[in-house]
Amino acid sequence: MGVITPANTAPTADAALSRALNDELADKGFVVSQLDKLVTWARTGSMWGLTFGLACCGVEMIHAWMSRYDLDRFGFAPMPSPRSADVMIVAGTLCNKMAPALRKIYDQMAEPRYVISMGSCANGGGYYHYSYSVVRGCDRIVPVDVYVPGCPPTAEALVYGILQLQKKVRRQGTLVR
Amino acid sequence: MKELGDHIARATGAVPSIRLGELMLETTPDKVIALLAFLRDDPKCLFKQLCDVSGVDWPERPKRFDVVYNLLSLKNNQRVRVKLQTDEATPVPSAAGLFSAANWFERETYDLYGIWFSDHPDLRRILTDYGFEGHPLRKDFPLTGFVEMRWDDVQKRVIYEPVKLQQEFRRFDFLSPWEGSIQRMLPGDEKATEEGKSG
Amino acid sequence: MSDVEIKTLTMNFGPQHPAAHGVLRLVVEMDGEIVERCDPHIGLLHRGTEKLIEYKTYLQAVPYFDRLDYVSPMNQEHAFALAVEKLLGIQAPERAQYIRVLFSEITRILNHLLNVTTFAMDVGALTPPLWGFEQRELLMEYYEQVSGSRMHAAYFRPGGVHQDLPAGMLDSMEGWLKQFYPFLKDLEKLLNENRIFRMRTVDIGTVSAAQAIDWAFSGPMLRASGVPWDLRKAQPYDVYERMDFDIPVGKTGDCFARYLVRVEEMYQSARIMEQCVKALRTVGGPVLVDDRKVAPPRRGEMKGSMEALIHHFKLYTEGYKVPAGETYTVVEAPKGEFGVYLVSDGTNKPYRCKIRAPGFPHLQALDMMTRGHQLADMSANIGSLDIVFGEIDR
Repeated sequence: MGVITPANTAPTADAALSRALNDELADKGFVVSQLDKLVTWARTGSMWGLTFGLACCGVEMIHAWMSRYDLDRFGFAPMPSPRSADVMIVAGTLCNKMAPALRKIYDQMAEPRYVISMGSCANGGGYYHYSYSVVRGCDRIVPVDVYVPGCPPTAEALVYGILQLQKKVRRQGTLVR
Repeated sequence: MKELGDHIARATGAVPSIRLGELMLETTPDKVIALLAFLRDDPKCLFKQLCDVSGVDWPERPKRFDVVYNLLSLKNNQRVRVKLQTDEATPVPSAAGLFSAANWFERETYDLYGIWFSDHPDLRRILTDYGFEGHPLRKDFPLTGFVEMRWDDVQKRVIYEPVKLQQEFRRFDFLSPWEGSIQRMLPGDEKATEEGKSG
Repeated sequence: MSDVEIKTLTMNFGPQHPAAHGVLRLVVEMDGEIVERCDPHIGLLHRGTEKLIEYKTYLQAVPYFDRLDYVSPMNQEHAFALAVEKLLGIQAPERAQYIRVLFSEITRILNHLLNVTTFAMDVGALTPPLWGFEQRELLMEYYEQVSGSRMHAAYFRPGGVHQDLPAGMLDSMEGWLKQFYPFLKDLEKLLNENRIFRMRTVDIGTVSAAQAIDWAFSGPMLRASGVPWDLRKAQPYDVYERMDFDIPVGKTGDCFARYLVRVEEMYQSARIMEQCVKALRTVGGPVLVDDRKVAPPRRGEMKGSMEALIHHFKLYTEGYKVPAGETYTVVEAPKGEFGVYLVSDGTNKPYRCKIRAPGFPHLQALDMMTRGHQLADMSANIGSLDIVFGEIDR
C-alpha cells in the first residue's frame, strides 16, 4: 500500500512548497530532486554557528540569538564547540595574542565550514587598526565568506549577514568545498 | 586636607601638594614602602585600598618614568596620590607585600613601561603578547608597533612579519603657530615691541 | 607503604569557552576535581587603547571609553567626561547632569541584566537570558533614540551630553518603568528560591570584608561582602546628591549574595530613573556647557554666524586645549569603581590616560576565591565576578 501522508493544512506562505511536496508524496510516494539542491537546502536550513564572541560585537551577537531577533528560527543554533559547528562568527577585535587560538579553532571545524566576520574590528582592524597588538582584519588568519560592517553591527545586520551567507551557499551549490 | 598632608609629611618626609582638590605626595623609590605602610596603618590615614598603580613616561627627563599610586580610605572617605620618579635601570620596591591588589597592577606597569619592581612575587608580561619585545606605552615605541601577524599557508602557522600599513596613520598637527606651542616671531612683529617700549 | 606522589593536573580553560565571558585563558592546576591554583592569562583582548588615546584629541578619545566595558558603555564615558571637565574647570549644566544620571542608571540596569541572566545561564538556567535580553533591547531603543547607536553611544561628552532628549521619550520611559518591576519580580521568582541555583551559588567564592578591601574590590563585589561603600553616596558627582535611593549590602560575601545585591540594585536604579524622569520634565536649559571654546555650537547657529563657524571648525579639527594638570576621577560603574587617571600637558591631546578598570583587581582575586572549590564552581565564580575583557585588557 505505501505511506499515506495526511492533508496539509499549513496556512503560512511557504505552504505552497510543502503542499507541492505533500501532493507529490501522496501521488507517487516519492519526491524527485537534484542532489545538490537537496544538499544545499539541508546545509542552509541548519547552519550551526560557533559563538566566537571576542568583544563588543559579541553582545550584539547574543542579542541576535535572543527573543527579538531570534536566530533559532533560521535553524541557526548556537554551538560552543567547533567540532560540531558549521559557521564561525568572528565577533570583535582579534588581537595578536588571540590569533593562534582563532586559527586552531578554525582548523578544528569540519568541512564545509564558513566564516562570518562581524564588526569593523574583525573586518579590517576597525577602530584599533593602527594599534600595535591588533590583527588588521581576521581575514589575515582565516578565509572569510561574509563581512558584516558596523561598530557594532546591529543584531538585525548580523541576521542579514547570515541570510546573505545562506544565499552564498545556495549560489555556490558545490558538494565539496 | 592640608593638615593631613602636613601630618604625613612630618611623619614620612614625603612632599605634599594639593591641586584641583586632590592631595598628592611625592617620594623616592627607597622611601615608598615605608610611606605606603604608614598610609595604610596610621589611624589618621587608614588608606586601606590601593586603587591603582600606573606609570607615566616623560622622555625629556633623565628619570623618565613616574610611578603613580592612587589610594582610597573607606573610613575617612579620602583619596591620595603617591608619585615617585625612576628611570629604566632603577628598580622600585614592590607594594605586593602590603596590598595584595598591587600584584597585577605592577605586572601591568612593568609590561607596558619596563619599570622593574623588586621583590615582586611573579613579575612577567600580562597584557602584551607572549613573545612581545619592547614596552609599548613608552613614548619612543611607535603606535603601530614593529611586528604584525598573518597566517602563512606555506608554513601552516601564524607568523610575525614587519608592519606594512595600507594607509599611514594620519597625524594632524593642528596646533596653530599663533596659539600653539611654537614661540615664533612673526615677520613685522619686531617693530611692535620696540614701539611698545619707546611709546 | 611507600609515598605516593600526587601530581596536579594542569588544565587549560581555554580562550574560547562558553562560560569564559569573552577571552579568558585560565591555567588551572587541579587535584582531581578540586582546584588548587588558577592563573588567569589576560591580554587576549589588549587593543592598545591607552596608547591610541595619546594620539587622539579629547573629543576623538570619547568613543574609546564606550568600548571598554561594552555591556555598560555610558558609565565609562561618564568618568572621562568628568575627568576632562575637572581639568578644564567647567561643570555641565543642570539638565545635562540629570540626563547623565538617568542614562547612567539605565546603563547600570543594562549591565546587571546581562550579568544576572548570563550568570544564571552559566549555572544552568536558560530562561532568564531570554527574558532579560528583551528588557535590554527595550533599553537599547532609548540609546538609539538619543544617540543613534544601540550600544556605543559617544553621548556623554566633556561639557554635558551631545544633544537633548527627543520628544516623547520621558513618557515612554515611564511606561517601561511600570512593566519593569513585575519583570524583576518574575525573575526573582525563577531564581531566588530555586534549589539548584542556591546549591550552586551559596557558600561558593566567599570573600570576607577584610579580604575584599585588601584585594581592591569595589562595587557590588565589595558590598556583597558587607562593606557599605558606594561612590554615589560617599563621593557624589552630578546630581546624585539629590537622588533618594538605598544601597543594598550583602552579608555572606558569596556568589548568591552578589546576585542578590545586583538584583536589588536594579530596583534602586529604577527608582532613581523615576526621580530623574520626573525632574527632567521641569528642568530646562542647555545640555552642553555654553563655553564655545569647549562645546561646539548648534548646527543652525553654525550656518549663520561667522564666529560660530570658526568655533565649530577649530573644535572639530584641533579640539579644545586642556590646561596642564592631572586628575584621578572615579565613578560608580555597575561593576565597581571605574577610574580615569588623566595627565594633560596643555595641548589638545591627552598626555597619559590610565584607565582603572574594576574588573582588573576582581580577576586577580579569582585565584584566592576558587581555591578548594570544584571546577564547576569556577564558572559560577567567574560569572559572579562580572568581568568583561574590554575593560580588563583595554
